[in-house]
Amino acid sequence: MRVARYLLVRSARGALTLLVMIAVVFALYFAIEKNPPIQNYVYGTLATKPQATQVHVVRKMLFLDDSKPVLFAHYVWRLAHGDIGHDRQIDSSGNVVDGGSVAFYVYPALRATLSILVGGAVLVALLSLPLGAISGSRLGSWADRLISFFALLLVCAHPMMLGLVLRSAGNGFGWPTTGYCPLLGHGAIRNIQTGLQTGTCGGPVDWAAHLALPWLTFALLFLALYTRMVRASVAETINEDFVRTARAKGASTARVLGRHVLPTAGLRVLTMVGMEVGTAIAVSIYIEAAYGIDGLGRHAVQTLGGEGPTLNLPDSLAIVVLITLIVVVGNLVVDFLYATLDPRVGIGRDPGRTKSLVGGVF
Amino acid sequence: MVEDAATLEHVERPAPNRPVGPWRAGWRRLRRDPWSLSALGAVTLIVLLGLFGGAIVSRLVGHNGTRQFAYAANSNLRPVGPLTRIAAPAQPPIDAYGILHAPPKGSPTTFLVFGADGPLGRDELIRVLDGVRASLEIGGGAMLVALLIGLPIGAAAGYFGGFVDAVATQLTETVMAFPLILFLLFANRYLTQDIRSVYWGSIVPQGVVGDIVLIGVFTSFYPMRLVRVHAAVLRHSEFIEAAHMVGASTWRILRRELLPHLIPVLLVWGAVAVGVNMLAEIGLSFLGIGVQPDTPTLGTLLSVQWGTVFNPKTYDSHSYTPWQTIFPMVTIVVTVFSLNRLAEGVRRAMEPRALR
Repeated sequence: MRVARYLLVRSARGALTLLVMIAVVFALYFAIEKNPPIQNYVYGTLATKPQATQVHVVRKMLFLDDSKPVLFAHYVWRLAHGDIGHDRQIDSSGNVVDGGSVAFYVYPALRATLSILVGGAVLVALLSLPLGAISGSRLGSWADRLISFFALLLVCAHPMMLGLVLRSAGNGFGWPTTGYCPLLGHGAIRNIQTGLQTGTCGGPVDWAAHLALPWLTFALLFLALYTRMVRASVAETINEDFVRTARAKGASTARVLGRHVLPTAGLRVLTMVGMEVGTAIAVSIYIEAAYGIDGLGRHAVQTLGGEGPTLNLPDSLAIVVLITLIVVVGNLVVDFLYATLDPRVGIGRDPGRTKSLVGGVF
Repeated sequence: MVEDAATLEHVERPAPNRPVGPWRAGWRRLRRDPWSLSALGAVTLIVLLGLFGGAIVSRLVGHNGTRQFAYAANSNLRPVGPLTRIAAPAQPPIDAYGILHAPPKGSPTTFLVFGADGPLGRDELIRVLDGVRASLEIGGGAMLVALLIGLPIGAAAGYFGGFVDAVATQLTETVMAFPLILFLLFANRYLTQDIRSVYWGSIVPQGVVGDIVLIGVFTSFYPMRLVRVHAAVLRHSEFIEAAHMVGASTWRILRRELLPHLIPVLLVWGAVAVGVNMLAEIGLSFLGIGVQPDTPTLGTLLSVQWGTVFNPKTYDSHSYTPWQTIFPMVTIVVTVFSLNRLAEGVRRAMEPRALR
């Protein structure tokens, strides 16, 4: 009951965030597109003044003649039904028609990005927990110094830099380093520059093989943060009474660490994961670029940062909605896990969150 | 008797009893830690190299980072590697068909320590040094801009609290949950040409000020948050209440009582922020926004070689010139590492009881 209420409240807050972000995109779009360059959309109007009908058609295609509240309500209503948005285009006879759903290319991109994020996060957990435990249980030893040094060193690299270096290394060993293979079914591998199909692949093995280097890049960048977190947490916990009790019972070091110390550290790490979802998406932009993966970050960069003074409304909305959903759902899951795993934290209370001093920029 | 009093004043007090201020104590602790001290030395060296290195090397070798050497690239436009001596005649013999002939006998030569930067044949060493300077300018400048915005707002929000503080906190938390690079990308569309085209000779190259504004404004949330948290905690402490009781004005309390307690925290943040801002500049260059590719920064030196996110260059064995990426890469990693290690050292020195 308590859990259900908590989930409900948090989901409502997430939904509110989503609505606000959609409203912000609408507001920015209509502020930018007050006077669209008609000649960019209709042939033969560069020299002559565009006719009134042409202006009307272009404005309709760009959603400028619609009532804004109705457009907003319609979009939210369609979104609630799972429709991420539709493009509009001008057909050969000069009428504005439906240009197809943006889901056609947005969902494959989301799939690729989520694959990078989730796989990378798992790898971070698998690496940072043992490394942090070794480091934190023997403060000041050579192993601790070595781990701390490399953790601090790796965080000084830029994701694109690290990605391209690892990609060159992978090329040297003949490892597949470009493109994305779907986990289920088969997909075409395309050259990201030419758009030409270079082969097909699919299935779990291909999927993991093609994502191994992106995951490694992701993990190496985030390892520093989490290893240090685990290290600090382990170093604090290892002197607690319950650990001493476990030792006194005769438990081995591995058991003490695995059963008593690391779960506490894991909880700390969990709260941090929620705060770093945004950073992870930013890192994913560069990883996708370095490995030629057609993911959400790539689409976000092209939609929001492309050349020219115009903005595509359905594309921007789809990108912002999906990124907001990743952030909101990620935070929700993390908070929920934290509250259920740690009985001391009451559900509904904000767990004492921490975020790195600076970051998220890259 | 008077003489006795005068002589007494000259007697030195025994040293162990003299109270030591927090700064002096912190400096003593920092001095004892060899790693932090070498990080401080490395940061000082890099800053000096960035500020004066380009000018000194230019003076020594007699050309600057924009001079193009015709003999620094072969006929395939492949630039020469590090530690190469090339001919550098004032007027390279190029015939009417644009073909470069062998250099005339006895023409002057020059020595390229880091090799040439590409088909144009510029001195890579000077370009890297100029790049370090531009990157340091962006990192430091953006840090100062962020501090100028974040410190007053954060201090006010934390010290006064209330409804505005709650709204501002919620807003910053929400904004910070999103990838900042997308805000940068979007804001870049509206960065006016006036700001972008500001430059000051070759000391502040064109585009640097634009990057400073862009990164500084959007990272100001971090110092704002940091200052707010500390101000909110310190506001209830006894020394602030004591200052209230003796009738100090709010402005005086903020300036004289609160600010000194924030400086160690802000020092640590500042050192890390300069490094992260330099990485952010690399990110902007990879996104193709910010400083123009022709102006050397650590970011553009890399993005010229590797291409942008929109248009990454693929590996090509003919144009594979690893030294052009290795030198900027090593520089950036060493710089950011030293800055981070220095921040860590300052933190340990100012909070000796914190976990190592």
